[in-house]
Amino acid sequence: MEKNELIAKVNSVLAEEFEVEESIITPDANIKQTLQLDSLSLVDMVALIESEFGVKIQPADLAKIQTFQALYDYLAERA
Amino acid sequence: MMYRAEQLYQLIPQRPPIVMVDVVWSATETEAETGLTVTADNIFVRNGHFREPGLIEHIAQSAAAFAGCGTFLRGEEPKLGFIGEIKDCVLNMLPEVGTQLRTHIQLVTEVNGIRLISAETRIEGEMVASCIMKIFLKDDE
Repeated sequence: MEKNELIAKVNSVLAEEFEVEESIITPDANIKQTLQLDSLSLVDMVALIESEFGVKIQPADLAKIQTFQALYDYLAERA
Repeated sequence: MMYRAEQLYQLIPQRPPIVMVDVVWSATETEAETGLTVTADNIFVRNGHFREPGLIEHIAQSAAAFAGCGTFLRGEEPKLGFIGEIKDCVLNMLPEVGTQLRTHIQLVTEVNGIRLISAETRIEGEMVASCIMKIFLKDDE
């Protein structure tokens, strides 16, 4: 998958799952704040990423993935 | 490895009359099969049927027993689990006294001590209940 394609898909599935406007998802935006994730809904995001992209985010990596750009990069290396 | 009766107390913190799993047929790192025979003296039975809270508790304890298999093999005490969320819950029937529930627990993912599991409960292959559940396992202080 091309990176632009991957970014579009990430934005689309996250916006739909967490019911936010896709336009507020920008590369530098903080994921938790933008999607209004708490510790419980963070689990949903990890499960969604795994089911949509086949990539399991490791707990140690999760703490480092603060922005959407970091998430795109993480997936681009593994998807 | 199969666990029955009081062996289950090594897997879950609940004790009678609130124990809602009476057998663990199998468990791996990612899934488990548990069961419960509905008896007339079960506290969740009313008018000969196992009620909705009992089904949810059975699924939650099945997930706890699944987690407990891991802790037991590591020689640890079972952890207290809290239901964080239940979604996509479908209850198709209320089991009759004498029937045996068979529940398949599948670990979807685990993040920071919160487990996301999917559960399907059947009686002789017929779907009784299914749901997605988040369970927080409390670490000992």
